Amino acid sequence: MLAPSLGTGPTIQMQYYLNFIVRTLSMCLILATGALFISCGSNDDETLTVYSGRNEELIAPLLDRFAEETGIDIEVRYAGSVELALLIREEGEQSPADVFISQSPGPIAFLTEIGLLTGLSEDTLDLAQHSKSGQWVAISGRQRVLVYNRGNIAPEQLPSSIFQLTEPQWDGRIGIAPGNGSFQDFFTLFRLEHGDDVALEWLNSLVANGAQTYGKNSAIVQAVARGEIDAGLVNHYYNARLKVENPDTPSENHLLDTGDPGAVTIATAASAVASGHQELAEQFIRFLLQSDSQQYFADETLEYPMAAGIKPAAGIEAAATIDLGEFDSLGGGLERTLELIREAGLDI
Amino acid sequence: MRPVSISDSLAAEDPLTPIRRERILPRRAPVNLVVTSAATAVIFAIPFVYLVIRNLSADAALLSAVASRQTLDPLLRTLWLATTVSLSASAIGTLLAWITMRTDLPGRTFWRIACPLPLVLPSFVAGAAMLAAYSPGGLFEQFLSPFGVGVLPRIDGNLGAFLVLTSITYPYVYLPVAARLSSLPPSLEEAARLLGHGPTPTFRRVVWPQLFPATRAGGLLTFLYVVSDFGVVQLMDYQTLTTRIFTTRLVDTPLSFALGLVLAIVALLIVMSERLASRDVALAASEPSRRPIVIPLGRWRPAAFVALFGAVGTGIIAPVVVLSWWAYRGLVNQASGFASTEGITALIQPTWNTVVVSIVAAVISVAMVLPVAFLTTRYRSPFAGPLNAVIVAGFALPGLVIALSMVFLALRVPALSTLYQTLPLLLLAYVIHFGAQAYRSAQIGVAAVDERIGEAARTLGSSHLRRLWRIELPLMLPPLAAGGGLVMLSTMKELPATLLAAPFDFETLATRIWTANDGGFLADAGLASLVLICVSALLTWLLVIRHADHLR
Repeated sequence: MLAPSLGTGPTIQMQYYLNFIVRTLSMCLILATGALFISCGSNDDETLTVYSGRNEELIAPLLDRFAEETGIDIEVRYAGSVELALLIREEGEQSPADVFISQSPGPIAFLTEIGLLTGLSEDTLDLAQHSKSGQWVAISGRQRVLVYNRGNIAPEQLPSSIFQLTEPQWDGRIGIAPGNGSFQDFFTLFRLEHGDDVALEWLNSLVANGAQTYGKNSAIVQAVARGEIDAGLVNHYYNARLKVENPDTPSENHLLDTGDPGAVTIATAASAVASGHQELAEQFIRFLLQSDSQQYFADETLEYPMAAGIKPAAGIEAAATIDLGEFDSLGGGLERTLELIREAGLDI
Repeated sequence: MRPVSISDSLAAEDPLTPIRRERILPRRAPVNLVVTSAATAVIFAIPFVYLVIRNLSADAALLSAVASRQTLDPLLRTLWLATTVSLSASAIGTLLAWITMRTDLPGRTFWRIACPLPLVLPSFVAGAAMLAAYSPGGLFEQFLSPFGVGVLPRIDGNLGAFLVLTSITYPYVYLPVAARLSSLPPSLEEAARLLGHGPTPTFRRVVWPQLFPATRAGGLLTFLYVVSDFGVVQLMDYQTLTTRIFTTRLVDTPLSFALGLVLAIVALLIVMSERLASRDVALAASEPSRRPIVIPLGRWRPAAFVALFGAVGTGIIAPVVVLSWWAYRGLVNQASGFASTEGITALIQPTWNTVVVSIVAAVISVAMVLPVAFLTTRYRSPFAGPLNAVIVAGFALPGLVIALSMVFLALRVPALSTLYQTLPLLLLAYVIHFGAQAYRSAQIGVAAVDERIGEAARTLGSSHLRRLWRIELPLMLPPLAAGGGLVMLSTMKELPATLLAAPFDFETLATRIWTANDGGFLADAGLASLVLICVSALLTWLLVIRHADHLR
């Protein structure tokens, strides 16, 4: 295509470039116009708009089924939970979002404080665990665990509590991700229950014990699988997923004792955005809490179902009681958590 | 029409007398050029204006927070990392460009396509793949263990970020320098050789002064990319200004915006001082060349191979091996839920979307920045400095800021609200973010067009536009293609704006990779990344390499 005729002098070559540029420009114009047409979809009342901080791979089949069963069109935007919260904040009252699904309750608390969420009705809240103020309901959960390399740690050496990780035998062997949201959620719940002093002393000791820092959960799980470190504090999901990708991985999840601060569950939460489509939004959230939807989370996404008495999938160890954190307010919550993490000498 | 031969006039000068005649910028810029450039600058200023507006309510407490050590230390780390990476990327990019464009190295076409490719990997993928390759217990160590190589050190922190960023950013230097080499008049080098100078003095005294503006332009882009990067520094657990913005964005949003403004100001200052520090060196005019100079490598051939394998091997081959391994693991392990045929057909639409938006963004970027390049290069204008700064510094802003500023623009300006969450707005975000890459190359292209040709055409009665179309654009094509190519490759991997500002259900390969990687679906992430690499290799060859080599 468009081969230059070689050796015919500059006049023809320039002709060729002129042609090339004109063709490229006109092609772009046509493409852009076409794209404009495609993207100007209508947004009528029977369209539900979902902003999902939950990964597409872990929820898209449910959205498709909802659309099929109800005939309601769904538009969905996938991105990080915090980024979507910032987007809704920027959009303000003009936000097209009806439902906001967040991978942890923090971003929902952020929007609650600005007053952009409507809260949910009793009918919806009653179906599963929910926040005290009724802003969100949990649709699935991720368990905080200790991921370890079974080649480097024998089962009888495993700790039953995060407090044991400050003992000398764990010197330099533990990975944490203090800059990551899920570690901060865990630490917030820890200090709310045990007090700031206890939590800070634990973190200080852990750092003094040579804890290695990583950028995120998946990086810790990969490092444990390679044997770079022996164990790490993470969400159960990442190793459950890695075992599916690579059944030979030597990394295993270890559930700490019930009631231990290291054994809390972080909820994926659903909330309704003040968009005037409250009823539609709640209809969708109730759909996510139906038993077949909850069964989907148990079977397909390797998580803890939150409603309807559904059990987690085989191989996902069940927490004896699901201890769900309250994040109704960020004030003195996450902010204080970050302060303490920095006080412990961790650079975030 | 007889071709105007510039080499005639240049050959009369001794090529070893550096061509540093004082450039004369005689005329005042034409009004229409100033107006067009000003309009472009207003568009590129949107994210900066947005940051200022978001910071207007800043109180004293915020100022002290911004002035604290918790900001200063990450800022210094950002600057240190950006300086070291841009220096090493400049050296590597220039060296690779010279080897692939000027020597008799076998397989040059392959290397010319492979060299720019590391640029296309989103930094979180490149980082994860390189960790999987070179970390303790990684693929490389398993491969080396039969040869008695012990445990590799953990890759993290400053050194880890430096290594990964260098290996994915050297193409910012490679592409402009290679384009400059391909349009450099051979007469310069030939004359030097005829006067008895060997390849080394010829390079040092004739070629290098001509390449330096391209190297510096690429080095600045590298610097700004590192300033804006989040994916690599997060994985390497290295705390920079962007990780501070990330950590505070939810908990203390005002502080996060203030830090964003700090980053923007630093970027503007860097860009302005780079322009002030630059010596106005006259460039030898671009000249269509049908006989490229080929320097026999001789006994240096193995060394040249090692250099190429080192850079391309680290930047693209190692990640490709890891990504293929992930995809292969998914293929052989049915339980992973990874279905190859379904996985591939699901990528067709995202691939098409990626190709269309990246090409359109590249063409629009080149078209928008070209008038500004003319203004800032050819004319003496008081606007040149600020115009230059606002266009180039936009590249250093975090993608999230660009995305949010587009939302702000579309929802606050009534006339634009119909554009909200449409492709034109997304394209605008790409152009604002990446236009700098086209702009720097365009400046080199404009500077290297001998104005005497235009004068000659004018005396023959040719109009302005006609001269631009028929004479200057063809001569500028290699650098313009290189700059457009950089925009295209950057757009292909762009994430924050695509996730937040794209139309609903508009997926690109980058968003597919992000989704898969975020959910731990490594096989899918590997497959989508491989498709991204293949598509970008094809487009780089079709649209950039062939035009950079055009007059062979």
